[in-house]
Amino acid sequence: MKNHKRIWSLVLTIMLATGILAGCGSDSPTGSSTASSGEASSESGERVTITYSQWGNDTETAATKAVAEKFNASQDRITVEIMQIDHESYISKLNTMATANELPDTGIMSEAGVLTFATNGMLYDISQMYDSDESKPLDSITFKYDGTPVAYSAANEILAIWYNIDLLNEVCAQQGLNVTEFTPPADAGGAWDWDTFVNIAKTLTLDVNGKNANDPDFDKNNIVTYGCSINTLPWQLEVWPLSNGGGFYSADGSEMTVNSPETADALQRIADLYLVHNCSPQPSSTTIALSTSLGSEKIVMATDGAWNVGTYLGPDANFEYGVGVLPYMKEKVTICTGGPNVVFATTKHPEEAMEWLKWYAQEENSWDLIEAGTWMPILESWYTEDEKINKWIDNPYFPEHDMYKSAVVDYAREYSKSTSWYYVNATDVFNSVLDTAMSFAWTGDMTVQEALDKYIPEFEDAYNSGK
Amino acid sequence: MIDLPKTNTESIIKKKRYRNKESLTAFLCLIPVFMGLSIISYIPTIAVFVLSMFDWNGLTAPKFVALDNFVRIFSRDMYFYDSVRVTIVYAFIAVAGSLLYSLIIALFLNRKIPARPFWRAIFFIPYMLPAAGVFTAWRWLYEVNYGLFNYAFRILGLPPQQFVQSPAQVLPSLALIAVWCSGNLIVIFVASLQNVARVYMEAAEIDGANAWQRFWNVTIPCISPIIFYNMLMALISNLQVITPALAMTNGGPQNGSMFMSYIIYMYGFQKNRLGYASAYAVIFFMIVGIFTAILFKTFGSQFFGGGEKK
Repeated sequence: MKNHKRIWSLVLTIMLATGILAGCGSDSPTGSSTASSGEASSESGERVTITYSQWGNDTETAATKAVAEKFNASQDRITVEIMQIDHESYISKLNTMATANELPDTGIMSEAGVLTFATNGMLYDISQMYDSDESKPLDSITFKYDGTPVAYSAANEILAIWYNIDLLNEVCAQQGLNVTEFTPPADAGGAWDWDTFVNIAKTLTLDVNGKNANDPDFDKNNIVTYGCSINTLPWQLEVWPLSNGGGFYSADGSEMTVNSPETADALQRIADLYLVHNCSPQPSSTTIALSTSLGSEKIVMATDGAWNVGTYLGPDANFEYGVGVLPYMKEKVTICTGGPNVVFATTKHPEEAMEWLKWYAQEENSWDLIEAGTWMPILESWYTEDEKINKWIDNPYFPEHDMYKSAVVDYAREYSKSTSWYYVNATDVFNSVLDTAMSFAWTGDMTVQEALDKYIPEFEDAYNSGK
Repeated sequence: MIDLPKTNTESIIKKKRYRNKESLTAFLCLIPVFMGLSIISYIPTIAVFVLSMFDWNGLTAPKFVALDNFVRIFSRDMYFYDSVRVTIVYAFIAVAGSLLYSLIIALFLNRKIPARPFWRAIFFIPYMLPAAGVFTAWRWLYEVNYGLFNYAFRILGLPPQQFVQSPAQVLPSLALIAVWCSGNLIVIFVASLQNVARVYMEAAEIDGANAWQRFWNVTIPCISPIIFYNMLMALISNLQVITPALAMTNGGPQNGSMFMSYIIYMYGFQKNRLGYASAYAVIFFMIVGIFTAILFKTFGSQFFGGGEKK
């Protein structure tokens, strides 16, 4: 009996040890497809498989998979597999995969990480992706490292002001106001200046007794409807200093200007919407997204990006929505951005990867996402040719045609500037310092100027870390 | 006539051979565990100590910088001193609150109350819930503008609170969630209370002790090893807190919840500064070690009954 026990102990030990060694010897992380598999080349006639990583909710992922299947069916040399990664952990996952040398062949990249990857040689040179006579993506959404394109945004997105038409009508009716006078303008020519915007937002802010924020008897501790909410994500805050003649950096990114008086003044005006004028809820990471700010149906107007047409406003909003241009301080401006598609330098199939991305960049091939309003086109012709514009915006999720054309299409064409991460490195580090600094200003514990001045050494460290 | 072994020496040799074979079997069974622990724990721990002396972004070759990372953390890091403070303060509030709450609930659950299994389940369930769901739900409870707590306060005529939006309130607010989730401590306390010998309680009753005196002089000493164990486990897990910062606060407001584990994650996986994050981890390891040693030194001997010097 004792011999049987010893034999079984030995067998169990060997099985366990073998299992551990086999598991540790595997190159692939569990549950994910990794860098390109197979040594086959499309030129030799065999189908190669390349991977494309993307973030996005289930709707976006399903749309991306449909696009990939369309590409796979359109030719017989390349198969694209989609790797979905949660948006919140996308960068962390990519960084981990980069460290393990297991990056996918291609993928959408977070804007803030592009130049970091480019600086470290992790991105494949795509400057020859387009011939000189081919239509290229807009220059404003081209990432450049040392003047050379390293990535093109997969989509163009701008910031605008979105509003709940039903709630706006209700608040105006309650006070006997003319709705037209309080509707955010869709035409940049009629954009509200900042003081007008604040006054309108205060008028649309009501307490439990029906008094608005301009009323001396307004009860700021019992607000039932807020006139506005500004998205306070650090990268979105940049539009306000730009509108005020300042900015986080100089125009070419060679100098940091985050604590200039113009920049501080612009951000202080944002903070004062809550601290002084009581027409905005307290800035909160919970209520930043449009789905929670406008989705609460307690906020009339909120700023955010154009992708919301496809991710929330079109499919899920329980109200009729409208869009207008941003209010301005000194200069009418919005910022554009868009997650770029990149070819990672570790790919074994760079030509196939670039072919896939070039195909994908054509609007006809990512049409599901454009038609849904999640992506805006990246080629200039879609902003100038009426036929293309109509094809783009005459779709179910979009608001009224002329409104969207004026407030988004024309606005993007004429007034958009690149977000700084297109030409400045380490903006993710910089933005986390900005987030910390602004947390002192949002509560009123410091003025914005004091908070920015206090963290200047950290801002400089962050800015210099990218050089 | 009794049959004895031929000689005592042969018997001893037989026993020794038997023990050696048993030892060999034991060692063989331990090998997989040791290998697993080495790969998952020991080797990565050593690697962290080594990495802490390098500047490495995970994308290019590491560069040896000796103690530069540590010098930078102590002299120039914008989060370090705040993070040490908030981590320690949070741990103390959460540990004290959890122990008190779980002991009180355990005392009630140890009594003959109606539907006792139901109440035990009710208090244990929060511990089993997925952390992400718990913090998402509590984020909405605490929401300044639309949360349930402030809605109730408004109805009661009380001023709304900032909760996790306030630097002063964020730590108690997060600690409250930890207390609510301490169902595991309740279960352990209930088990220990059931093992308090009835004879001690009866003797105390005979001597005229009231309920508080019986609790303080009989129950507490009997369960003191369990109190110490729960305190130690709660301290270590609450010093290592990260989920509230990840799911709710991102370390804010004003670094008010910038826990050390969160900073390590942020530097290591979001900012790609693996060497720097490793240096942070080494410092954190020392802090946890110091607190554990203090706990053993001050309370360990008392709770294990070795307080009297011989």
